[in-house]
Amino acid sequence: MANFDEENNRLTIKLVYYGPAQSGKTTNLMRLHDILRTDLKGEMMLMETANDRTLFFDLLPLGFKAPSGLLIKFKLYTVPGQVIHDSTRKAVLSRADGVVFVADSQRTQSTNNGEAFSNLEDNAARVGIDFDQLPLVVQFNKRDLPDILSEAEVLQRWQSAPWPVLFSSALAGGGVVETFHALLHQVYNHLDQEFDFQCLHHLSQAAFVDQACGRIDNQA
Amino acid sequence: MSKESDHDFERDLSLNELLHGIDKQRLETALHTLLNAPLAIFNQQGECLLGAPEQAKDAISQPLYGELEPIGRLTAAIPQDRLKAATALITLLLRANARYLMASDLHLQTQQADFEELQRRHTALEQSEQRYKALAENLELRVQQQVKTIESAQLKLYETEKLASVGRLASGIAHEINNPIGFIRSNLTTACSYLDALKKIGAMLPSCQDMSALKSAWQQADMDFIQQDMQDILAESIDGTERIAAIVKDLKGFSRIDETAREEADLNMLIRQVCHVATAEWRDKAELHLDLGVLPLLHCHPGELGQVFLSVLMNAVDATTVLGNIHLRTAFQDNQITIEVRDNGRGITETDMPHIFDPFFTTKEVGKGMGLGLSVSRNIVQAHGGNLTIKSRPTGTRVTISLPVKPPVTHVEI
Ligand SMILES: Nc1nc2c(ncn2[C@@H]2O[C@H](COP(=O)(O)OP(=O)(O)OP(=O)(O)O)[C@@H](O)[C@H]2O)c(=O)[nH]1
Ligand SMILES: [Mg+2]
Repeated sequence: MANFDEENNRLTIKLVYYGPAQSGKTTNLMRLHDILRTDLKGEMMLMETANDRTLFFDLLPLGFKAPSGLLIKFKLYTVPGQVIHDSTRKAVLSRADGVVFVADSQRTQSTNNGEAFSNLEDNAARVGIDFDQLPLVVQFNKRDLPDILSEAEVLQRWQSAPWPVLFSSALAGGGVVETFHALLHQVYNHLDQEFDFQCLHHLSQAAFVDQACGRIDNQA
Repeated sequence: MSKESDHDFERDLSLNELLHGIDKQRLETALHTLLNAPLAIFNQQGECLLGAPEQAKDAISQPLYGELEPIGRLTAAIPQDRLKAATALITLLLRANARYLMASDLHLQTQQADFEELQRRHTALEQSEQRYKALAENLELRVQQQVKTIESAQLKLYETEKLASVGRLASGIAHEINNPIGFIRSNLTTACSYLDALKKIGAMLPSCQDMSALKSAWQQADMDFIQQDMQDILAESIDGTERIAAIVKDLKGFSRIDETAREEADLNMLIRQVCHVATAEWRDKAELHLDLGVLPLLHCHPGELGQVFLSVLMNAVDATTVLGNIHLRTAFQDNQITIEVRDNGRGITETDMPHIFDPFFTTKEVGKGMGLGLSVSRNIVQAHGGNLTIKSRPTGTRVTISLPVKPPVTHVEI
């Protein structure tokens, strides 16, 4: 649940990039760091091993001030995708306000995607997140690679699921912001119920999303 | 991990925390040398954490940033661009420390969570182990109870069936004994009247001088006949008592039934006794053909085996239809005694066949069913290390009992 700090008039929103190992979670965050023009943009904190596999998490802090003066702060995390780091994944997922599930589009990765997704469901339950209420978007990454599931196939498989499905080539930056947008829409709706952004902070959904991303000149 | 703790890796790190573990003296000295001016670092609350606050009091300052927001400032009387460079240097240092703090806090947090999970599982495991232990103990007890129940039920079954066979035999035996008793009594009554006649003649003896009067009295009383008949009826009565004695002797074979000790027994003799005792059962219904081979003595419970032979024989009798023929054969071969009872009765139906060894199973009318059930009979035979098998057709049934002369060492006692 988003953490409202009355003393500093600050709302911290936690967003987590989840998914199987090597699907491109860290890459998503790095591209967002490059592309976004949010008013307050912190430095990326990467915690990875020598061969670029996330060990603990990555963190990208972003923030802007609502017209009311409320500081809205986003903390974007990635979890380590490798199966062995489940305890860390659980700790990082805890209290998330929204999740991007980054799947690997390559045909060979279908099983890993499936296992990672049920791992997400399991861990959400373990840390007390109501999965049905959780803002969630699914991103199929690495669209630039050969031998991937076609968009039609992906959409057909996820047909009955309630979550938006997006496509991306995170390495080049394609679809990364769109994914973030889609998540922000859901997060706004979800948090608005509790914090009443519109009335108390004069913050519309569109403004919320725009401000979180900043004025982007050349969207990838 | 829903509970907030001191070491939550996501908490906002203050400047105080970020400087923790850094040798402030060395940092200050290094900065002082680089900047060539007094300097001070303050946190957001205006508290000086490093340097010389008095000397740096009026100098310009540059904010130090945390993730997004200022967490303190650096003050030194030096040009702006050099102050910025110094701030960048300190920020790098703080960020490295932040990385370390977050990683170590997360590590602690997951370790704690894993440990708690482990403990929870351990407790759960211990609890389930306790439950299983209790269950196991309980189970053993319950099995023992069940075994006792079954044993006593089996004993009761045996007793009940034994009583039933005794009950059925009783009327037949009563008849067998009543018959000689009947004619012995009538013979004795006759003998009493003969004695009266003899007394009359005897009374004449002291006063009588006339031999002819005595003779005529003798003839009048038909004493010649009486003398002869008296002899006959006494002989007949003696014969009757012998018959009764024989029946009683055969019955003894069954009276020993409760003796638990085994003894050496001649099965042929036992079979003969059984046939005698049950004479009334088969006499009018079937012809019994005995073909008894030479048998060695068998170490056994004769009473129990006698009950088995009796019930098998009575089953054969009950199966006979019009002209019954029952063949009872014994033989000894390969250290094994075989007793075979064959009848030409109606046989066992296919639907009854699977149930014949069920306890209390019977096809006979209520009240008429008797004798040991086949289940008890087979148990007794098995307790002797032997086997009881049945083959049946619509034209007759054959029961084969085989008994090893040296039974295996381990065997179940009934
Ligand atoms: N071709 C291609 N490669 C990509 C794309 N996105 C990420 N990659 C590559 O995939 C590899 C893994 O990417 P990461 O972002 O480190 O993956 P991750 O999900 O953070 O992996 P873990 O930290 O181990 O869970 C890297 O070599 C990336 O360059 C993409 O869209 N296309
Ligand atoms: Mg990663």
